Amino acid sequence: MITIDNAPIIRLDNVTKRYGRELALDGVSFEVPRGMIFALLGENGAGKTTTIRALLGLGQPDAGKLEVLGLDCRTQGLEIRQRAGCVFEKPTLYEWMTVDEIGWYTSGFYGAGFLPRYRQMAAQFELPATRKIKELSKGMKAKVALALSLGHDPELLILDEPTSGLDPMVRREFLERMVDRTATGKTVFLSSHQIHEVERVADMVAILRHGKLLLCERLERLKEEITELTVTLAEGFAQPPEIAGEVLRQSRRSRQWQILTRGAQPPDIESLRLHESVAEVAVRKPNLEEIFTAYMQ
Amino acid sequence: MFLHVDPDSGLAIYDQIVRQIKFAVATGALPPGEMAPSVRELARELTVNLNTVSKAYQQLQVEGVLESVRGMGLAVATGALKQCRAERVTLVQERLHEVLWEARQSGLDGDEIQKLIAAEMPAIDKKLAAKLKGK
Repeated sequence: MITIDNAPIIRLDNVTKRYGRELALDGVSFEVPRGMIFALLGENGAGKTTTIRALLGLGQPDAGKLEVLGLDCRTQGLEIRQRAGCVFEKPTLYEWMTVDEIGWYTSGFYGAGFLPRYRQMAAQFELPATRKIKELSKGMKAKVALALSLGHDPELLILDEPTSGLDPMVRREFLERMVDRTATGKTVFLSSHQIHEVERVADMVAILRHGKLLLCERLERLKEEITELTVTLAEGFAQPPEIAGEVLRQSRRSRQWQILTRGAQPPDIESLRLHESVAEVAVRKPNLEEIFTAYMQ
Repeated sequence: MFLHVDPDSGLAIYDQIVRQIKFAVATGALPPGEMAPSVRELARELTVNLNTVSKAYQQLQVEGVLESVRGMGLAVATGALKQCRAERVTLVQERLHEVLWEARQSGLDGDEIQKLIAAEMPAIDKKLAAKLKGK
């Protein structure tokens, strides 16, 4: 038997997209393994939404290869959109339908299990079944969109800025659902600039900047390898000694240097402490937001 | 047992979970024999990644704090209480090391540090006595 389970669920190879003269995606390549939460980070206009649209076959890139669920995004977009679950930042829903009607209507495009699953989730989300969509709050609409996207229990859930502008309770509901998806081996791909949330739930992060991929790797490894050192110099010294690892950022304030370094090991830090030019070293593990900012500079 | 994780704390999230569970065992909040929440349950409650919780549980298992109960999940091991209490001593020692390092860096010598400790102890004993009396 051939199993394709180890194949990445999303694959981008050298994808480039232009809007007029502007390069929205510039040779972007990465892969998303199955069964994890993968977060695409970047500032507004970095190319996150362009990437998601291209993955769903909603915008043709100018060059490169894209695959989702083993399907070609250029020609099989419809099938991808059918099989994956998607939630957009501003979901478009039929406003005149009620919560239950829109579930029933959408279930027509899917199999028999859709409606019961949708109804169960709508109940868990405490959505009023007979209320019209147009009468719902923004948070409730977002929950309807999430319940609709999960009705067919998709292998892959794609979320574009899912929690931006939502209140804390709804955001939490979204995060819990994402974590829950991976408990059954499903994959979640999201774009976000809510770095604090991503830090809690993501297995892997990728950072886009001006259409270029800056990094793509396991969050745990990234956090493990990066250390912030605050070095206070001894009297008579102007500069700290060479520091092991890759320096991502450094700044100086009078006698202190603050250095964000990647790959420095505890013995390296210990020998820095003992160096004649160093009076004191404070060691701290930066959070993802600080790491993100350092990479963006 | 209630856990709380903070990605800003400077400790890896799995490490925070490991420490807090050990702490809960040491204080008796999670007694030997009691079932730990499932990976999925705890991941949901803390809204953290499943693998983060798995990693913490694996480490707690390797260290003998949790043991698997067939078909049920993970429970606090019989010998865990003693072990977690001993580990608290190690943690205190580590923190003490940092404080003492800072003290020496600020120019205090060994005698002066000893005097500081001797001066603090009566106040702490008094606090503890008041707490015991309160019970």
